[in-house]
Amino acid sequence: MGHKTYGAATSAGALAFGLVLGFGAPAAAQDDGFTLGMMVGGNPCCEWMKSQGDVARALAEARGWNYMELSNNNDPATALRNAQILVQEGADAAIQFNGQPSSNPAIAQVMNAAGVPIVTYDIAQEGMYFVGIDNLGAGIAGGEGLGALVRDEWDCNPDLVVSAEGAAAGIVNEWRTGGMRTGLRNICPEIPDERWVSFESQGDAAVGLPAARDLLAAHPEAVRIAVVGLNDGGVLSLIQAAEQLGRADEVMGWGQDGAFITGDNVNPALKGSVFYFLESYAVNAIRDVIEPIAAGDAPPVRWEAGDPASQVQGCPVTAEEPATVPDMEERVRLLLEAPAGTTAYDLFCPNR
Amino acid sequence: MALAPTIDGKDAVGPRWPGLGAWGPALALVAVWLVLIAATGLYRPDFLSHQTLLAVTFTMSIVGVLAVAQALVAISGGFLDLSQPSGLILSGLVTVRLAEAGMPMPVLILGALATGAAWGLVNATIIVLAKLNPVIVTLATNFIGLAALFLLFQLAQVPRGTAIHEFGRTSLLGLPAIWWPMAALILVAGFFLPRTRVGRRAIAVGGNRQAARARGISLPRTRIAIFTLSGALVGLASVLFVASSGPFNPGSANFLQLNVIASVILAGVSLAGGRGNLWLLFPSVGFLSTIPTTLVFFGLASDWQLIFQGFILVFAVAFDGYRARRAP
Amino acid sequence: MTITSAQPDRFEIWRERLSGSVASITITFIIVMAVGLLWVGPRFVSTSNIGIIGSFLVVPLIVGACAGFALLAGVVDLSIGSMVGFASALFAIQIAGGMDPWIAAPLTLLACVAMGAINALAIVHFGADAIAATLGMLTALRGMTWVITGIGGASGAIFAFHPGLFGMANSRVLGLPVLFLLAIVLSLIAAGVVTKTRLGRHVQAVGGDDKAAARAGIPVARVRTFALLLSAFGAGVAGIVFVAQLGSAARATGFGLEFQVYAALMIGGYSILRGGVGNPVGGMLGLLVVAGVSNIIELKAISPYYTNIIVGALLLGAVLLDRLRGGDPYE
Repeated sequence: MGHKTYGAATSAGALAFGLVLGFGAPAAAQDDGFTLGMMVGGNPCCEWMKSQGDVARALAEARGWNYMELSNNNDPATALRNAQILVQEGADAAIQFNGQPSSNPAIAQVMNAAGVPIVTYDIAQEGMYFVGIDNLGAGIAGGEGLGALVRDEWDCNPDLVVSAEGAAAGIVNEWRTGGMRTGLRNICPEIPDERWVSFESQGDAAVGLPAARDLLAAHPEAVRIAVVGLNDGGVLSLIQAAEQLGRADEVMGWGQDGAFITGDNVNPALKGSVFYFLESYAVNAIRDVIEPIAAGDAPPVRWEAGDPASQVQGCPVTAEEPATVPDMEERVRLLLEAPAGTTAYDLFCPNR
Repeated sequence: MALAPTIDGKDAVGPRWPGLGAWGPALALVAVWLVLIAATGLYRPDFLSHQTLLAVTFTMSIVGVLAVAQALVAISGGFLDLSQPSGLILSGLVTVRLAEAGMPMPVLILGALATGAAWGLVNATIIVLAKLNPVIVTLATNFIGLAALFLLFQLAQVPRGTAIHEFGRTSLLGLPAIWWPMAALILVAGFFLPRTRVGRRAIAVGGNRQAARARGISLPRTRIAIFTLSGALVGLASVLFVASSGPFNPGSANFLQLNVIASVILAGVSLAGGRGNLWLLFPSVGFLSTIPTTLVFFGLASDWQLIFQGFILVFAVAFDGYRARRAP
Repeated sequence: MTITSAQPDRFEIWRERLSGSVASITITFIIVMAVGLLWVGPRFVSTSNIGIIGSFLVVPLIVGACAGFALLAGVVDLSIGSMVGFASALFAIQIAGGMDPWIAAPLTLLACVAMGAINALAIVHFGADAIAATLGMLTALRGMTWVITGIGGASGAIFAFHPGLFGMANSRVLGLPVLFLLAIVLSLIAAGVVTKTRLGRHVQAVGGDDKAAARAGIPVARVRTFALLLSAFGAGVAGIVFVAQLGSAARATGFGLEFQVYAALMIGGYSILRGGVGNPVGGMLGLLVVAGVSNIIELKAISPYYTNIIVGALLLGAVLLDRLRGGDPYE
């Protein structure tokens, strides 16, 4: 058996060798010039995570910078490792979206110790430039948008207010869903406490569906149902559950992030959302933080969500308005054609 | 599937039924399910409603079809197919693309079945040609498949207003339209598995491959047939999935895997092969799909459902192992 | 590397060594190193880069070394990934509550071993199928992780940054993380136990053929119980290390780790379906190979999904080799 298996071992080694070699010619070494490191969130859910990387790459290349993109793979440990790799590879500045922010304190420690400035999107962390939406503010704006509808259509008397949570998003989830509840209460302060319920949607229209159906079954008397959530996907899971249980006639949902409010496939019960134009964050980050750093004039590290290094403007829309907003692919194309520093909000928000 | 020697039905290795003894675990499973329903109904009378029925049966539909596919693999000695999530998303993506192209429903279904069957055939080919264990092969193909799907697309959904979109939202005779294919499948597959030549061969191969081979059954052909059929059923599940789930991404089916395997084990299907009654999938899928609903009625956060489902599974397999040891 | 009672000639021993599972994973490891050196350049083996790879290998190495005993004993433990999550959540919530790590750690390990005891009770005592029972435990422990990380409005993550622990987790000797070196030493100790001690021979014998082992007077139930408890203990230690490294625990901590670790262990010559095969050194090299491939992909800034594609292909290649080497063909 010896010779045969020895040969087999060698052939497996050769197989592994070939596999690894198969992935393209060596890339150019990144020794000279300014290097921007980008840690994208991963690609577990949405188009925008990929778009954030694509836009940052195009903007960096247009400025003649080196660009290195890593994926956090939606995993806190991977995010920390990526930070260490960017330091090792000589990044001069970095941008991250870390959807699993539990490792953010450690990442800040690594980057600060190495003297590499880092921009973090949407989830504030001391020691990192904050660029992004004011999640709480966006939540409140969305809640007030829905509140206006609840007031006009139902006289501020819904049977149920459902909140579609995504606990894995941590504090962002609390800001958005809590903000939406606050906004709704600002308009309709009299809704009794026992009508406010929530379920775990995991922020995914398909995954959240069974829990959404269970919640509706447990509230069989509710007819007029208002839905808020951490994103459009979570809200959509409850709307779809209501469709399946034959109760969608009087459901009004208002989402966050605008993922499912454009195009010709919009659910009629999704009455509004708040566009963040997540694909356009790199415009803010590069214009207000990275370019000054590259020019040797680093701005002060403004890290709090309330006092950001660059504020991304949320764009609340009702379902009628976003007809003029193109889909993600088209938005990225137009964004990259626009003059430097122009954000997607400037280009596409219907009521800016 | 023409094979030279005919197998006589009487001596084929099959489930030991319908002696009442074999039905003991089945009755226990149904009893536990009924107790759960009754207890919740006593605590919250409004649990016993049409809304609850709809919620539970919707949840059952996709899991049930996948469980039949999984059980066929297990009974025929293939242990487990861990690549169901990849197969389901791949078939689902094909279905969505066909729907976007305006194809009629039968074409969508055929496309999904064919894609699923092709996925199963790829698994089977590796298993048979390389003579490798299906658990490891499908673990690897799922790794590869999901990664490739993530490189391929981010988000897909069937267009609103199409027939398949309606199919995922309508009811038929008071139950979800997508529930009926699942129920029919369990009924039909459970009937034919021990009563047809192909089915008996599958059971025989799973029970004792040497004995099966001695009787002239081709192991590779049986494997290929079972995995291809099982893949086609995953394709069927993908039709129900894209019809009812709205927008999905390549990772959206991962959460189904545990429920499917748990349902198969709870139904008393032996992972070692050769034993299992597909009809029992009905109460086991039903029971596991009822648990999350009852927790909501008891006011427990949905995070608790995994704890209950997990320990029930541990308890059930421990009980099963104990019974098997005590059996003569 | 079994030493048989009859004295084989030297050539036979070496041929066996060169063709065994450790030999093929060693060759694969050398190839990955070569590819890294040629494609990435010398910085692939810089202390900085090895330190990065190493510090993220600590958790898989500890889990793999301990869970490897369960594999060898023929009782696969799928609950290790969730056990890591459970341990990290339990440890983190105690640290966040101001408890001394030296008290929190033993309590956490005790809870993990208790969960491992449930596995052992179901599998060894009642005869439950190991895959099915530990799949149930995987589910239950993930649920418990979710519940713990949601306690008191913890919103899915418990921040438990502890300067002492963080310093310990990041302390270095010769430029390499101490914990990584310790994890390597642990793997080597495990290899020594498996190949050189009576306990190791018993574990292998039980996994290879439990009936024969029982006839030979080996306490099969006790050996398997030990292996399952050790597996749970290792995952508990790894969970604590995770909190020390990341300063937090989250809902998803350890999610899917069991598949990552077992894929690497199988690449290194273990089998999850057949006890008695594999060696902790091979398992360690398997983990190093996967981490090396992943690191090359990252340094070349290629989509991480290619890592999974390569790992899947390596896995198929490794089990094919195992079969060609005399493993049971599946028919």
